[in-house]
Amino acid sequence: MTQMTDPGFDSHIRKLMGWHFGADTGSPFWLGKLSGLGFDPLTEVQTLSDLTRFPDVSSELRSVPAQDLIPAGLADRPFRVYDSGGTTGSPKRVVDSAYRSLMTVWGRERLLANGVPPHGNWLHLGPSGPHVIGFDTARYAALGGGIFYTVDLDPRWVKRLLSQGRAADADEYVQHLLDQAETILESQDVTVLNTTPPLLEAICARPRLYELVRTRIRAIIWAGTSISGESLRQLSEVFFPTASVVGVYGNSLMGVAPQRAARPGDTHPCVFEPFPDTTRLQLVDDDGEPVAYGERGRVRLHLVAEEMFLPNILERDTAVRVEPVPGSPVDGLADVQTYRSLDDVTIIEGVY
Amino acid sequence: MSTATRAPLSLDPRVCGRSVPSSDRTALPSVLGGDLADIGTAPRLLALAALNEIRGHADGRAPDPAVFTEAARLFAVATLDGESPQDYVDRVCQATGLTSSAVGQAVRDLVEEMEELPATTAAELPATGFGEGFDTRWVPRGKVFAAVMASNHPVPNISWVQALFHGYNVLVKPGSRDPFTPARLLAALVAAGLPPTKAAFLPCSREVGEFLLREADRGIIYGGEKAVATWHQRESVAVRGPGRTKALLDVPADDAVMDHLALSASFDGGTRCTNLSAVLTTGPVGEVADRLAERLGRLPSLPASDEGATLLVVNRARAAQLREQVAVLRAALTDHSARAGEEETVVELEDGSFLLRPVVLSVDSAGHPALGTELPFPFVVVAPWSEADGVAPLRDSLVLNLLTDREELVEAALREPSVRKVTRGRVLPWTAVPGIPHDDNYTQFLLEPKGLVAQG
Repeated sequence: MTQMTDPGFDSHIRKLMGWHFGADTGSPFWLGKLSGLGFDPLTEVQTLSDLTRFPDVSSELRSVPAQDLIPAGLADRPFRVYDSGGTTGSPKRVVDSAYRSLMTVWGRERLLANGVPPHGNWLHLGPSGPHVIGFDTARYAALGGGIFYTVDLDPRWVKRLLSQGRAADADEYVQHLLDQAETILESQDVTVLNTTPPLLEAICARPRLYELVRTRIRAIIWAGTSISGESLRQLSEVFFPTASVVGVYGNSLMGVAPQRAARPGDTHPCVFEPFPDTTRLQLVDDDGEPVAYGERGRVRLHLVAEEMFLPNILERDTAVRVEPVPGSPVDGLADVQTYRSLDDVTIIEGVY
Repeated sequence: MSTATRAPLSLDPRVCGRSVPSSDRTALPSVLGGDLADIGTAPRLLALAALNEIRGHADGRAPDPAVFTEAARLFAVATLDGESPQDYVDRVCQATGLTSSAVGQAVRDLVEEMEELPATTAAELPATGFGEGFDTRWVPRGKVFAAVMASNHPVPNISWVQALFHGYNVLVKPGSRDPFTPARLLAALVAAGLPPTKAAFLPCSREVGEFLLREADRGIIYGGEKAVATWHQRESVAVRGPGRTKALLDVPADDAVMDHLALSASFDGGTRCTNLSAVLTTGPVGEVADRLAERLGRLPSLPASDEGATLLVVNRARAAQLREQVAVLRAALTDHSARAGEEETVVELEDGSFLLRPVVLSVDSAGHPALGTELPFPFVVVAPWSEADGVAPLRDSLVLNLLTDREELVEAALREPSVRKVTRGRVLPWTAVPGIPHDDNYTQFLLEPKGLVAQG
């Protein structure tokens, strides 16, 4: 009903069906699925709506050898593996060679449009290691010629502590992270802080660290967990009124969906948009049908890129569907929240 | 209690006398169905900002005691923030399911307790003069106090009013079903002259409330076993968990005694932490339980707004939850209410609310784990007791009502640390005068002595 036509993306889909299901170019993972699909993606997948014919393979990403995800056509390129945070059980794996670098060039433009300074040094107070956000943030800093500072953060340890009811231990770990951030900010020139809403709350509760962040940092980027509208207002109007406070929605599978620039008539303080070249995020009801604008739906991801093909992935989040800005092929997403009952696995939102 | 034609009621956090509208909203359901009010809730950062502001104003000085007597008067009779005394009663009834007569009684009790604050203070502190130049001053143990309230009854809100009385600056997290009592008390206090910078009213999640408790110098938390479990070891926090009030029936169970036990269990709909929840008896267990069930069964099923009503009502969702929880217990234990003709725990009333009928069950030993089950309506478990059982089954009681001539047992009960108050004879559990502690010396929890020696 509210599905828009998207001829540019449809032709992109048709082109990449040939790539991912071509005998010489496709990945062992997808080529191995071909016979069991019950349809021929080369001829029967023509438009965005056809992508829902594919099975949701996200659970398989927890166990398939990552090597099998690499398209044969890119076998000569170096790849590395990134994990999902492991919020719901064992992590899902994706492979990346150059795709994230391309996407972060676009993502950086979005951040700058929201007031993030083009140059200056960055502090990433968030996960690194197998978590792709560490890579993305380092890229943003490098693209602007800034130095990249970081602090080790193991989000799975925090989630484990919280799932065991060890809130005091989790808080001690958070304070250990903040000690390190404070040490960096005491002597180093940092302009941009990339972190999560729970860590921002913890920063605001430590007077010395809060003063350092308030007086030194020009832009605060939050990602990784949901945030309430009032919390966002408190951050941007009460605690950090002179800094730009910018949200990035995303995860290892979908990539980044930074906040778009505010527009007259926006009813939501923060509206996210995905990378339009490769990504569509649909908000769907329980029957998988797109919800109307202004309605809340569960996030369904279609990622169609040369390095990875992830169609029809139902995410753990819900959001409100926002009309696209004129000329944009993608809907906006607002007020992202965690979907509540997912395969009976208790979802634990930690500090990331 | 018709609100259908009224504008939707809305309540927001208040910090230092200002309303701080929050964009995070939550609906407060009515026991009659639908929503009664739209509540702005404080996320952690709003609570932190309030805490910072409140702490900035905290000087430890006690307000003029006259503020509290005037506030008590205004609380009872004035229209505050557009809310008349009758509006207040209606709102609390619809939100909590307490009867209007229980809320009316709660207003009178709160007024009395506020008026008695100087007397309570005097009764709970020892003499301070020790000869020429030797004095002890009782001063607050900190500057900022946090209260995490429950919604079972309005009167516990006296705890944070008392902290204000002694000079603390106070942050109140209201119970999720009763934001009205703390909001009105605070409005009355400010109208009576309390400096607005003394207090913040912060509807919020349990997690944010616990954050305030950790950050404050002193605090109090009310709630069920699970809600308060992590706070027992923290010296700066007073814990008010389930009361598990018990009676030992060791005298002939005449009608006067049975009426007393029935009233102890059912007063205010059984919502007080001091309502009776277990009877241990040296008499015939089945007979005692049958007679108690029969008496409680006479209480009428009336809407909370009816003057003759005594029993609690809840909304549909909570009724379903409680019905299921109680069904398990009724099936597992001997069900005396069913024997008295009361099969249903929940009765749907014509006004859309769901009334909780009293339930009396019995078990065959004093050590049965069902003893101590506390539910928010008249729910009593009867068990046998003999001298050989000793004081052990009487432990963990906010109030222990001893109907016995065994002086040794009275002495042992008084010396048992987990028994917090002992009553003898047909005394209702909450009976007190200033100086009779509810649970330890609360004035000394708030205040500490400092020596002041001046010579020459």
